[in-house]
Amino acid sequence: WQKVLYKRQPFPDNYVDRSFLEKLRKNIHARKYQYWAVVFESGLVIQQLCSVCVFVVIWWYMDMGLLAPQWLFGAGLISSLIGYVIFDAVESGIGKSQSDQSQWADLKNAVVFLAFTYGFSPVLKTLTESISTDTIYAMSAVMLLGHLIFYDYGANAAIVSSTLSLNMAIFASVCLASRLPCSLHAFVMVTFAIQIFALWPMLQKKLKAQTPHCYMVITLLFAMSALMGLLTVSSVGTVLFALLLVSISCLCPYCLIRLQLFKDNIHGPWDEAEIKEDLSKFLM
Amino acid sequence: MVLKIFFPFCCSSAESGLLVGRWISEQNSAVILAVIHFPFIPGQVKQYLFKLQHMTQVNMTVLGSWTNSKQPKEESLERFLEDLGAIFSHDPWVQLSKEKDSKFWSCVATQKLSDSNEEDEIVLIYYDQRKVMLSQLHPPQWSIASNDQKTVDSSRLTVVFDTVAKSKLLFMRDQYDEGPIKLTHWQSEGVEASIIVELLKQASVPTCMLITFLLSLVSGICKSRALTIWPLSFIWSKLSTCQQLGHRLQHLQIISSSRKAPNQTQLMRKANIFLSILIDVALGILLMSWLYQKNRIGHLANDLVPMADHVAQQLQSLLQWLMGAPAGLKMNRALDQVLGRFFLYHIHLWISYIHLMSPFVEMILWYVGLSACLGLTVALSILSDIIALLTFHIYCFYVYGARLYCLKIYGLSSLWRLFRGKKWNVLRQRVDSCSYDLDQLYIGTLLFTILLFLLPTTALYYLVFTLVSLLFLGVWGGGKVGYNSGRGEFCIPPPFYFVLKKD
Repeated sequence: WQKVLYKRQPFPDNYVDRSFLEKLRKNIHARKYQYWAVVFESGLVIQQLCSVCVFVVIWWYMDMGLLAPQWLFGAGLISSLIGYVIFDAVESGIGKSQSDQSQWADLKNAVVFLAFTYGFSPVLKTLTESISTDTIYAMSAVMLLGHLIFYDYGANAAIVSSTLSLNMAIFASVCLASRLPCSLHAFVMVTFAIQIFALWPMLQKKLKAQTPHCYMVITLLFAMSALMGLLTVSSVGTVLFALLLVSISCLCPYCLIRLQLFKDNIHGPWDEAEIKEDLSKFLM
Repeated sequence: MVLKIFFPFCCSSAESGLLVGRWISEQNSAVILAVIHFPFIPGQVKQYLFKLQHMTQVNMTVLGSWTNSKQPKEESLERFLEDLGAIFSHDPWVQLSKEKDSKFWSCVATQKLSDSNEEDEIVLIYYDQRKVMLSQLHPPQWSIASNDQKTVDSSRLTVVFDTVAKSKLLFMRDQYDEGPIKLTHWQSEGVEASIIVELLKQASVPTCMLITFLLSLVSGICKSRALTIWPLSFIWSKLSTCQQLGHRLQHLQIISSSRKAPNQTQLMRKANIFLSILIDVALGILLMSWLYQKNRIGHLANDLVPMADHVAQQLQSLLQWLMGAPAGLKMNRALDQVLGRFFLYHIHLWISYIHLMSPFVEMILWYVGLSACLGLTVALSILSDIIALLTFHIYCFYVYGARLYCLKIYGLSSLWRLFRGKKWNVLRQRVDSCSYDLDQLYIGTLLFTILLFLLPTTALYYLVFTLVSLLFLGVWGGGKVGYNSGRGEFCIPPPFYFVLKKD
């Protein structure tokens, strides 16, 4: 028996040979996940959620007048310096050549940030005066949500765009900063947004790649501090946020591993062809 | 036998005298060419006719007499006319007479030699000498020479035509010549006009040369380097008066060029331009005569300044409204104030300028009014320029608003691409993805946010000033149409000449 239709064969039309489905393969690409490994990876999402949470809490403190902008600016500056030193140490730990030029460039970038933000802060202050506060809140919420959605969590998907996510976070921070009472507040707020949305993830990635245990500890500490900060604002929100964090870090990996069992993916010669080889050398 | 007499129209009102013409005996017909008036000396007439015969090869003779009597008939005159028949012996002797207050002519042909007393029938045929001359039908010599029997048959009329055409020399003499003989024929009417035409023909060549010289001088000055450097040439291209004058100069150059028009279309074009310029200038002079009566210019000047004031006040109140919260729109207050003050200051400047000018407005208008003698179109284009200058501030507002809005839209569109992490690839003319640095992203997003929140304010200013300037364009539409058509339609003169010729 042959699996062809153009030959006349001594079998009835509905005859199915035993070799008919012998090339069927199941779940070739399915991966076996380790529970704790998945929990470790979910640390990125936790971190980003906590960043947004910390940002909103700090903004709330500033808006209420509970936190002086000088304090926040000082704290941000010191933590940035510490972060920069750690970043340097980690980078030199892997043996990359350290040059003065990159430090100069970093300094230049920092000066550009500060100068531009300080120069534009009066403009930012009056920017959304005539727009209603609810509109601003809604816009910021949408933008922060967009930041969380488009953030590069390490997944290889079309929706991921770190540029867009960073821009949305900056947009949201500018919107929120324009609600603050004076231009120094706005300046400090936007600077803080840059630190927490742009610089902090860079350090995180470096830490995660080099020292996983340390990263674990830092993530836990960061989540705890975000919860503590939220607790001073609203207890119900804290509970809900804690539940969210727990569900993301514990429940979701468990669900993923359980659902992996039900995976039933079939492959065979009917699949569309896949080009395995790298054709770029022919294209050159 | 029928006697045919061809009689020209123009001689029907001639004074009494002798009929001069050719006798075509084979057709038994007389072609009368002219009338010789009394008084004359028969000998001189004979001599004159002999000379003409010699020159024109036409057998010209005295055919009879012509009486155009104002008074009732006189016996003596009739006798005299019959006597004339004896002097100029011609057979038959034709006597034509026309009486006052009578439609009928009397025509008598006396034949001396014939014995028969029977009366011939006489057919009097009117013909228009001028048309026969101009018809160009006459000299088909070759058709006669072809010796065809049919041609000879049909060329009976041709002989008549030929006779008239050949006796051109007879018509060359007109009544103002100091000669012993006075004639009436088609050329003797409208002699004055033909003299004027001749004079004009003579005068036109030097006039054209003079005009060409002047025009080349003027255009040489216009093309000189000092007037075509950058800012000036830009101003010239914007002022409709200059364009109109340029077209006028070109037209005059076309008309006054001494070269002959190569074909009928070019000739038509020249005539059209000439006529349209004439009509234009006539209308302009009419306008001028209307304007300078009853101190109309003074009234106009007195009305102009309050009108400009009124417009400025309206604009100021509009700006005040915009600087508040217009229609409850969410405008950026700081930018709103800045823009509003900028435009208010502009209006203030404009108003002080107008007030500074106001003592001179009447004088300026008076001198500008003089330009109407160059033609209505020139006056209209100057009017349009004046209006454009008077409403210049509104146009300026529109330009500022539009430029600001345009800049903002450009900035927003490119920053929106940056916001999404894309960029415009100039080489491939498409949007590509691009990885930006952190500082680029930060500053770009900051600017994007600022521009986005300021957009409604600029958009409103742009909208309002566009509407205002459109309104002014609509109000002064006539002037503006003139201004625009000064480039296009008006430079093609309307086909007056063509229409006239058709009529």
